Amino acid sequence: MSEAKASTSAAGPEVVLGLRSVSKRFGRVVACDDVSLNVRAGEIRGLLGQNGAGKSTLMKIVAGFVRPEAGEIRIRGETLGFGDPVIAAERGIAMVHQHFSLVGPMPVWKNVTLSDRGHKKVDRTGTSRQIREIGQRYGLDVDPDAIVDDLAVGERQRVELLKCLRRQPDILILDEPTSVLTREESTALFGVLRRLARERGQSVVLISHELEEMLEVTDRVTVLRDGRVVSTVESAEASPDSLAQEMLGHDVTVPAEVLGLTLDEPGKAAGVPGSLPARSGVPSGHRAAVLELSDITVASAVGHKLLDGVSLDVGEGEILGVAGVAGNGQEELTGLLSNLIRPDGGEVRVEGRTIQTGRGRQLSRAGVGVIPADRHDSGCVLEMSVAENIALGSLDGMVRWGVVQQQKLHQLTQRLVGDFRIITSSLSAPLRSLSGGNQQRVVLARELARRPCVLVAAEPTQGLDIGARGYIWDRLREAAAGGTGILLLSSDLAEIMALSHRVAVINRGRIVSTMARADVDLAELGRMMGARTHDRR
Amino acid sequence: MIDNITLIVDSSVRIAATLLFAALGELVAERAGTLNISVEGAMLSSAFAAAYGSHATGSAYYGFLIGVAVGIVVSLVQANLSHRIRINQFVTGLVLNLLAIGVTSFLLAEVKMAPVQFGLVRIPGLASIPIIGDALFEQRAPFFLLYGLVPLVWWVLKRSRWGLELNAVGENPTAADANGIPVDVRRRQAIYFGGLLAGISGAYLSVGLIGAFTPNMTALRGFIAIAAVIFGGWTLSGTVAGTLLFGGAEALRVSLPALGVTITPQVLIALPYLAAIAAIAVLSQRRRQPAALGQTFGRGIS
Amino acid sequence: MTAAETTPEQSGTTVAVRPPRLPLSEYLRVGALLVASMAAAIGCAALLLSVTGSSPATVFRAMVTGSVGSRVALTATLNHAGPILLVALGALVATRSGLLNIGQEGQISIGALFGVAVGLAVQAPRGITLLLIGATAAAAGALWASLASVLRFTRGGSEVITTLLLNFVGFQVVSFAVNRPWLLQEDLPEGSILSASPQSNPLPPAGHLPTLAQGPGFRLNSGITVAVGLALVLAFLLARTRWGFELRTVGLNPRAARRSGVSPARVGSGALALSGALAGLAGGVLLSGTAFRVNDGFSNNYGWEGLLAALVAGSVTLAVIPSSLLFGALRAGSGVLAATGVSPTIVGAVQALVVIAVTLPLLYLNRRRLRALVQRTGVSRT
Repeated sequence: MSEAKASTSAAGPEVVLGLRSVSKRFGRVVACDDVSLNVRAGEIRGLLGQNGAGKSTLMKIVAGFVRPEAGEIRIRGETLGFGDPVIAAERGIAMVHQHFSLVGPMPVWKNVTLSDRGHKKVDRTGTSRQIREIGQRYGLDVDPDAIVDDLAVGERQRVELLKCLRRQPDILILDEPTSVLTREESTALFGVLRRLARERGQSVVLISHELEEMLEVTDRVTVLRDGRVVSTVESAEASPDSLAQEMLGHDVTVPAEVLGLTLDEPGKAAGVPGSLPARSGVPSGHRAAVLELSDITVASAVGHKLLDGVSLDVGEGEILGVAGVAGNGQEELTGLLSNLIRPDGGEVRVEGRTIQTGRGRQLSRAGVGVIPADRHDSGCVLEMSVAENIALGSLDGMVRWGVVQQQKLHQLTQRLVGDFRIITSSLSAPLRSLSGGNQQRVVLARELARRPCVLVAAEPTQGLDIGARGYIWDRLREAAAGGTGILLLSSDLAEIMALSHRVAVINRGRIVSTMARADVDLAELGRMMGARTHDRR
Repeated sequence: MIDNITLIVDSSVRIAATLLFAALGELVAERAGTLNISVEGAMLSSAFAAAYGSHATGSAYYGFLIGVAVGIVVSLVQANLSHRIRINQFVTGLVLNLLAIGVTSFLLAEVKMAPVQFGLVRIPGLASIPIIGDALFEQRAPFFLLYGLVPLVWWVLKRSRWGLELNAVGENPTAADANGIPVDVRRRQAIYFGGLLAGISGAYLSVGLIGAFTPNMTALRGFIAIAAVIFGGWTLSGTVAGTLLFGGAEALRVSLPALGVTITPQVLIALPYLAAIAAIAVLSQRRRQPAALGQTFGRGIS
Repeated sequence: MTAAETTPEQSGTTVAVRPPRLPLSEYLRVGALLVASMAAAIGCAALLLSVTGSSPATVFRAMVTGSVGSRVALTATLNHAGPILLVALGALVATRSGLLNIGQEGQISIGALFGVAVGLAVQAPRGITLLLIGATAAAAGALWASLASVLRFTRGGSEVITTLLLNFVGFQVVSFAVNRPWLLQEDLPEGSILSASPQSNPLPPAGHLPTLAQGPGFRLNSGITVAVGLALVLAFLLARTRWGFELRTVGLNPRAARRSGVSPARVGSGALALSGALAGLAGGVLLSGTAFRVNDGFSNNYGWEGLLAALVAGSVTLAVIPSSLLFGALRAGSGVLAATGVSPTIVGAVQALVVIAVTLPLLYLNRRRLRALVQRTGVSRT
């Protein structure tokens, strides 16, 4: 591998993609701050950074999906206009998004030909042949006639990649490609990327926040923090420790235990100051269970088991972290406890009482609060005011003769807006006018204000900046200290490790293991999250 | 007896043809995720325009073309209100329908006209086939456009890039957008196509089938066409079958009394509407509709 | 809104921004836009009139005199506005819950049909008779609308299409009833010829709405007071009660509603039933106020006009009162048009144009307001 690297640097450092002083802000949040970057031909470049460091935004700017306020982009020395994905694609830029851009009910070949712009004929045989050819060349095996909805996540990503490769891009951008993949699938993907760079001289930009894989596959790594470039280093010369330092900076509010995370040194995590030694020591057996799921099964319309005999329990004041790669049943678990899904089998008990979910008010009356992963889905009503969104969770105490007592509602909202430091122009401003972080705070405030006996928190800090993240973590810890049992569903191991008393692993709709926080072996955890526990379907 | 059957088949097909023109356009529009109820108003406006145009020019052909043009104009208004400045598409469609009724009724009351009707065209040989010969091969000229339009719509939906993009936009607008497909542009185009076909449908109704214009003469046929698309499960063959069914229901209403069968007239008049409601009740959940049907798409706030 | 202005002292680090207000110039601009688009709508109508050889000025003068020019005219306007307002209220309730009921024409007809059946059958004092007619009409309208709910919430069929199709079925039900001597067809003296448009027997005087004002050539019935009273009640219910809150939640985000334990199907079918009940009641008011009997074509566009009045009112509940008065006035004005030799059908076109003319500037205002808010507080990245 080191020879390969040497050969590329010897091949001449032609700059394929050059960014100069690119800046972008969303309202008050600075996503990219004066970023300059040069990517050479045949190079695999890593973009490393925390959630919200600006990695994705930067690359979306390059691919034309986001228009920056300032700066310049050059492709092989020639300026590229902003904000036009079609032109960017014509100039050889291809991006594999974190969220796939596939049309589910269509077959693979149609999805592949969908990205052909212009007046090109829809050619089934030609496209299928091409899919097979590229598949063979790079080891991306996909059946062109398969319906995308029937494919596993890893296969869908292969389709995305095929779509990009077919156009023989000069610059291939991948946004967190491994977050949904198993270990083997990731390794296979890296093989493909290396072949692209070495054999075809294509440049690859890989966005990730995982140190290990960065060093494994890239030639150079650029570290971003709070929208700025912190440093660019040769991967061969970098160590996970040094990268972690760069990524987190020194003045971070995030517990330092995060540092130990991706370093494959499980022992280290527990010993770092700032972790929760006291709590991780409390054995869960002594707590009264506030939430019990037994043998919950949820099947999709076509009969796939999305949750397959899930059993778990959360004790009073306990945080149970459910770790797992996104798309392994977390959504269904949240949906179940959000009253949106009726299970096909199994039982939900809250404080020992059996609860019917998916119908009526039983679940919310029993004191189950939910912070959904996508707050816009069921967490809030964007067109309603902040006060009304607060009322969404706790009307029971505020209604007399069917009339909502405005005064009480305003007092409560006022208090929560203060307590949770929600920035809003007024209590009656529509929620849509708030920033994402503040919308999330409204949801959090509402759910915690009810003093729920169970709180389901699904990816509670996804997409938030570090400050907001630390703040929400503190609030969750506080709630647990007050006796709320928290079911934390997160694909972010740092979050799981920072908060949980016990950790469960979910994989393909099954809870594959549950262990005390102190017994967590990170390498083992990662393996269980990614392992194929049983055959698909 | 054979004569009677021939008669009913013939009138079923004639009425179904009106529905089918509109339904083909609506099928394409719905595949792109729009539920375009102004198809009714487009039909009515173009029916009037075709009738008046044929009177003014003295030619059924010119009248027909004028009618089609007016259908497209209605769809231009609909598409730009609902899929450019994003007024609720049902509200837009509803107001356009009422506007069409108001304007055409007013003009009809104020204008004297003698519309020119298309003559019957008979395809020699084929028209002599028993039972279906008359129905399929001896009709007013615009009817024969169907023989081109049905394969065209099939080709558009199954083979063309435009159709592929429409389907993507109707199933998953976010993914379509990420592929660089302009969602609202495609939806507007699909509505224009719907307007073109609604125009043909309305013009065929007035200067083809009837040879006159009467107030509110489309009488909800645009909505029956929408019901036919739902009945057909958003497939081409199903849509054709749906229009034949609804055409048959209306043909029975017209012909049963003539055949001496006494059925309560109110039941007969309600029959096509009841058939459409029944189709929605039985079929709307069994078939899969375009996932984003009737939903607006926006990348963020505008 | 004063409660909203939290100071940093009160609430830690909360940043207090003044409640969002657009600069006056924005409102002036919207006002100007409204005037301009109304002028454009009137211009379109005038064009239509000129093209057909009528004088727009004569027509508009006739419309004004016919709607507000005399006590007779004002009475006609108010008598029309009552049922229109009731229908509009119903349309508004459905819209708030995210459903579009466009079946008011049928619901009015069915409501009036059952209302007249009860009114002819009972022999009771006026108060009781009227109450029975109103309750029956509302219940019948509610049931008719609920057919669409069943299709919507058990089969997933679009209520826009089913409510509309049910109109035509409803018309035939009425037609069937008034064409059957053993049902509701008018009793004619022996040997007389059946009238061309069959109708029911007239209601007895006990079934007539009380008169508010009376004079030569006019009788103002109390329908408008019933409608305005219900508008006030409904505005309060929508804005202040748990029911109204749940209704709006379901309309704006059904999944969030379900999460908080509110069933969209239950709330939605309730809203559609209430919507139908109000349309049915409008049928009852038409029956007891002015028509006194039911015939073919009874609903006579009151349903459509009420729906349009609701669309003009948009998101402001009480705005249905002025908008219904406007549509009542248009209708009253159209009544005298025939005397000028111009077809009254022009009013149908004018009504649709008015809706477009009012909707567009308000849409613009809402977008500007939102944009101003977002600039003030940062962007929501959706």
